[in-house]
Amino acid sequence: MATLSRQQAEEILYEEARILDSRRYDEWFAMLTEDVIYWVPCNGEGTDPDREISLVYDDHARLRDRLDRLNSGLAHAQNPPSKTCRLVSNVQVEQTSTDSAAVTSAFILYELRQTRQRIFAGRYQHRFRYQDGRWKIQWKKTLLVNNDEVIDNLTFIV
Amino acid sequence: MPLQLDFGALVEDQRVHRRIYTDAEVFEAEMERIFERTWVFVGHESEVAASGDYKTVSIGTQPAIMTRDEDGGIHVLMNRCMHRGATICQEQRGNSSFFRCWYHGWTYTNRGELVGVPYPGGYGRGFERRKFSLKRAKVGVYRGLVFASLNPEVPEITEHLARARYYIDLFMDLSPEGEVDARSGTHKYGYDGNWKFQMENGVDGYHPNFVHQSFFEIQGKKLGRKVMKLFTEASSYQSKDLGNGHSILDMAPQRKSHRPVNNILRGSTSDASTKIYIERLVRRYGEERTSEILGASNVNLAVFPNLLIIGIQFRNVIPINVNRTDVYLTPTTLKGVPDEINTARLRAHEAFYGSAGGGAPDDVEMFNRCTTGLRVKGAEWLELSRGIEREHTADDGSIAAHISDELPQRAFYRQWRRMMCEKFAEASESRPQSVAALD
Repeated sequence: MATLSRQQAEEILYEEARILDSRRYDEWFAMLTEDVIYWVPCNGEGTDPDREISLVYDDHARLRDRLDRLNSGLAHAQNPPSKTCRLVSNVQVEQTSTDSAAVTSAFILYELRQTRQRIFAGRYQHRFRYQDGRWKIQWKKTLLVNNDEVIDNLTFIV
Repeated sequence: MPLQLDFGALVEDQRVHRRIYTDAEVFEAEMERIFERTWVFVGHESEVAASGDYKTVSIGTQPAIMTRDEDGGIHVLMNRCMHRGATICQEQRGNSSFFRCWYHGWTYTNRGELVGVPYPGGYGRGFERRKFSLKRAKVGVYRGLVFASLNPEVPEITEHLARARYYIDLFMDLSPEGEVDARSGTHKYGYDGNWKFQMENGVDGYHPNFVHQSFFEIQGKKLGRKVMKLFTEASSYQSKDLGNGHSILDMAPQRKSHRPVNNILRGSTSDASTKIYIERLVRRYGEERTSEILGASNVNLAVFPNLLIIGIQFRNVIPINVNRTDVYLTPTTLKGVPDEINTARLRAHEAFYGSAGGGAPDDVEMFNRCTTGLRVKGAEWLELSRGIEREHTADDGSIAAHISDELPQRAFYRQWRRMMCEKFAEASESRPQSVAALD
């Protein structure tokens, strides 16, 4: 039995940000439940992924493939890799009940790859589930402000 | 005044000069001699399905609007107010019967007629509104694909498409209603490099085993087969020159197999949905044609100069300047199939394509690397001779070679040279003097 406080939510989000910015993908994968959905909509808010294309719409197995490819050393668009630093803020626990919680936040993500710097921004929506003595990510939606515009390379995890 | 480049000398039968990718003068000439002279892909008619629908598009670097009028007609209007030049439409898509220029309020219908001029008393008696209709492109539609041309004397669209029509038909006939829908959104990416890199790459059967090794290895493991074999010397796949600069990587040897959806670029669907789908195809087309259609499920087709049809998508290659290109990937769904099949198509497309895909960004990385590498002087040529001795005439009369051969690129550049060196009527009113002087 657990409910999620804002402070706990912030700690998880900061930890996730740090892991992703360090490209410790296997550690990130361990933060996810097996029925996870990781969704980065394209062309707007994202309403029905079954009928519209997304930038990313991955379940557990597809995420494993994505991370394995990034780890393979042959994902050329990440060779050399993007260096990122993201700030997560405006954290709000939208809903929490026994063993589950919905949290929204805002982020700014600075990216450097080779000589080019880019800034991404947007909102995160997370759903967490309390499982095996810890809060795990069961659903994550990343709403990029620029998801209806040209994005040259989004092969790191946002 | 500097001497004009001899464009014909930059493209030989088996190699091309680096300046075709790096020289702004070449780019400007391409916009005039290719993008203003031939048919340019702008979209699919389902994107303007209802009357009043519109979508902003490009013809080369020129902004335009594809519209659907109240009688169902499709128009491509240049997005430029005939008064003082401002764009009249700012949205990527929407629905409106009229477009108002908000600079001075001039208003046009979605057919391009000027219907509103505020405070008309300020204009003299000689002022005639009908002389200020929006500039329009000629429109050609084939199986729902919408092409636009700024050349009034352009050949008919069917003639232009040549043998590519056969493959476009196959792609559309994957739907039991013979129609696809292009309203599931658009992946947009770009790169700092020339537009031709993307056109070459879309029908390049030599690069996949290197650029996409990481993707193929992971997918191959799941499918239990060696995806990379498709592109080795042992492959029976072909590349083909379809005429007028169009080409294809042809998967004909697979055409007999009933494997429409369990494919790395199509996703997997349940047996039940697959069965319904195939039954509907057979009902519409018969057994033989159905096999032929299903075999085409992995198409890589290039339509000169700016369209690629790959997997489930229309890919619009949009030149921005000599060193910048945008690429719009619009996936299609099939009319008349179980929803599950269309969802699987989208998921399979996402796995490989788009800015976050497992394949396309690695292609883009190569275009960026080429852009940097081509700054080297003294190494002036890019080699495109692969398979020239394997070229032969295929059963359908087209020139064919091995899938990994550079035949598609040679076909592209034959058309490129033809158009870049063509003498055309000069000094038309719209043609700037300096350009006419160059001819």
